Amino acid sequence: MAYAYLFKYIIIGDTGVGKSCLLLQFTDKRFQPVHDLTIGVEFGARMITIDGKQIKLQIWDTAGQESFRSITRSYYRGAAGALLVYDITRRDTFNHLTTWLEDARQHSNSNMVIMLIGNKSDLESRREVKKEEGEAFAREHGLIFMETSAKTASNVEEAFINTAKEIYEKIQEGVFDINNEANGIKIGPQHPTTNSTLSGSQGGQHAGGGCC
Amino acid sequence: MESSDEASSSSVTVNNADESSPWRHRGRERSSSADVIARVQRCPRRPIRSGSDSQEAGPSLRDDVCQTNSPSVKVKCWSASSNGVASCTEGSKVDCCGGGASDLPLDESTCSAPQCINPVTPPSDSDSDTQEGDDDAFNTVGELSPPPPRHRNTYESGRRQSAPGQLVQDHGGSESELQSRRPGLAEYFSRKQRSVPQSAPGWKLFGKVPPKQSPTKQAQIIQQEFEARQMAACSSPTHHAAGQQSKRKVEFEPLSTTALILEDRPPNLPAKSAEEAQRHRQQYEQMVAAAKRRELKEAQRRRQQKEQRLRQEELLSNTSLVWNLHILPHWDLMRSSRRAQDLWWGGLPPSVRGRVWSLAVGNELNITAGAAPAGLERITRDVSRTLPSLLVFHKGGPYHDLLQSILGAYTCYRPDVGYVQGMSSMAAMLILNMDEVEVFISFSNLINRPCQLAFYRVDHQLMLRYFGAYQVFFQETLPRLFLHFQFSGVTPDLYLMDWILSLYMKPLPLDVACRVWDVFFRDGEEFLFRAALGILRLYQDLLLHMDLVSIAQFLSRLPDEELLSDRLFACISATPMLSGNRKWTQVLSSCRDSERTS
Repeated sequence: MAYAYLFKYIIIGDTGVGKSCLLLQFTDKRFQPVHDLTIGVEFGARMITIDGKQIKLQIWDTAGQESFRSITRSYYRGAAGALLVYDITRRDTFNHLTTWLEDARQHSNSNMVIMLIGNKSDLESRREVKKEEGEAFAREHGLIFMETSAKTASNVEEAFINTAKEIYEKIQEGVFDINNEANGIKIGPQHPTTNSTLSGSQGGQHAGGGCC
Repeated sequence: MESSDEASSSSVTVNNADESSPWRHRGRERSSSADVIARVQRCPRRPIRSGSDSQEAGPSLRDDVCQTNSPSVKVKCWSASSNGVASCTEGSKVDCCGGGASDLPLDESTCSAPQCINPVTPPSDSDSDTQEGDDDAFNTVGELSPPPPRHRNTYESGRRQSAPGQLVQDHGGSESELQSRRPGLAEYFSRKQRSVPQSAPGWKLFGKVPPKQSPTKQAQIIQQEFEARQMAACSSPTHHAAGQQSKRKVEFEPLSTTALILEDRPPNLPAKSAEEAQRHRQQYEQMVAAAKRRELKEAQRRRQQKEQRLRQEELLSNTSLVWNLHILPHWDLMRSSRRAQDLWWGGLPPSVRGRVWSLAVGNELNITAGAAPAGLERITRDVSRTLPSLLVFHKGGPYHDLLQSILGAYTCYRPDVGYVQGMSSMAAMLILNMDEVEVFISFSNLINRPCQLAFYRVDHQLMLRYFGAYQVFFQETLPRLFLHFQFSGVTPDLYLMDWILSLYMKPLPLDVACRVWDVFFRDGEEFLFRAALGILRLYQDLLLHMDLVSIAQFLSRLPDEELLSDRLFACISATPMLSGNRKWTQVLSSCRDSERTS
């Protein structure tokens, strides 16, 4: 599979906010109302095109429960983008954003692009968090913000792609050192400008866990 | 009217089930003495019967019965010995006093004794003051249309047998007794039901549900209905005979036994002496009088009971008012007051009981509504996401509440572990195979095992130790795949954590997971890692050509293939847990030792 770049994403946020559903909608274009619990981490991948270049997104979908926080922390390493998700119908998930953000900032590289996502925008009648509040939080913390609905697919595509655009711009600006894998970016085997020696079959980073 | 009819109906089951529902009505509506007569007359073996006795019953009816009575019945009745009187009296005692009919033998001759008393009970159940007028009505109707002479002998035994059974029921006698008498009659009942569908609303119970099928339940229903109607009968005048009632009376037909007493002895037997006839008549009248006394007494007793109940209810509602208005709002001040203490001593009204108990117990532990079910909301959310394909744990599903309460109970039982995602599928698996208590016991003990505890507490260090030991065996048994995984960045936590926490319920189809559990309980935690290596061995060739994402995706949900179970277990058995000469536990402890040194 030829691609110019590979971006590693991580999806974080409280349990039940719809992280896995967002991923499924983005990769498979379908919605599963009752989704299995995510334990540890699950994966998704999809090819997108930005500025005429093929970019592969490798997405790490993490477990939301607090208990697994120590495990998910190790997955930030080497992520170029993060989707921080809350549920607009549950204020507590919005209130926890600060701790999630602290965690992300602490364990990822400083250039990681973070997209704040208020999910379940289709449930307008049950909304507990105003869109303005989300926007304000994003502005305050320097995040990109979108409200999405994994159910109706509204803004899902845009959320993933806009994040990739942001990362791509940073590459163009030279903020990211694309030769340092710790930045969560890998150059594809057929990159037009770089003679990379990295193998295309090579996946993501050697993250977390490991042998004793 | 209707209600009182039905009130009486429950005590005379069989008669109504067959042709005699009018008889039943008559029995109730007429004065008590008339009832007794009829009843006594029905006792086939009573020797006191004579033509002169019949004056107390409706003449036309009596005649009718006399004409149609069949000889065979007569013979049967008269074959009874002279102690028939005694047994009959005894039977009546038993019935009227509400004693168990279990004393009564089941053979036909003795069963007839209680039966002859049977009709005594209905009028006693309703108010006696309603019966005078009905008596006349009955007689009139009876004269208007003599009943057809049917069901004389054929159903005699059935009637006799079942009537005592019904009596037992009405008087709270043992139900097993009742059941023992019923079998065999069901068919009869239903047959009769069809032929006389309208005769008595009270009996549709029997017609619809043969007693054989659900005797116990039926008895309860009848008892309830009986009581309900009895209440209604007490409050509403029963003598407002509607057209329906008179219709019933038109259908009236005395039973064969009614007539027997009116006749002389059959010609082949010696005639009664005048003295004997007189004696029998006297005995009979005594019984009638005694039955009537009992009825009056019973009615009085019921009235008193009812009044007492009303008084109690009023008292109770007054008391709860006091509790609600004066004591509960000022609990701390009032609880020690004389008034509260006295009321308390007399028993708490049910409506305030829970509240008082809770205040009296207090809350020294300062448990708040929010504190107790910490994490319960999360459990609720996860329960409906458990094994969604089975459609039993979703909200409203048969096991939803059970799963939720098991997890909630565990959270309270082990707050140090709490609820961790993955537990729900484990508990679900147990629920599918055990009953409630066993589930909780097994679940709690299972999570208490070292490996499970390490993973459910997400004890990073301990988990890494398990992963480390696993990697040792992985490298030894599947070196090529091990290298490929290392190269692709597939670390054990990416798939093993999911596998261990869900005990293979996430990656494997349910039946295969069950088999893994089977052997896990046989071999212990070592098998969980052996099974992992078995899975990797089974799919090694595929996995060698995949990248990180594909491998992780593949391993998180293995394909549900045919014969997966057998093929997987073949691979597992080809994977002995030996690293050199070292076994799992040895490798694990060496990992622990190396942690200490490093």
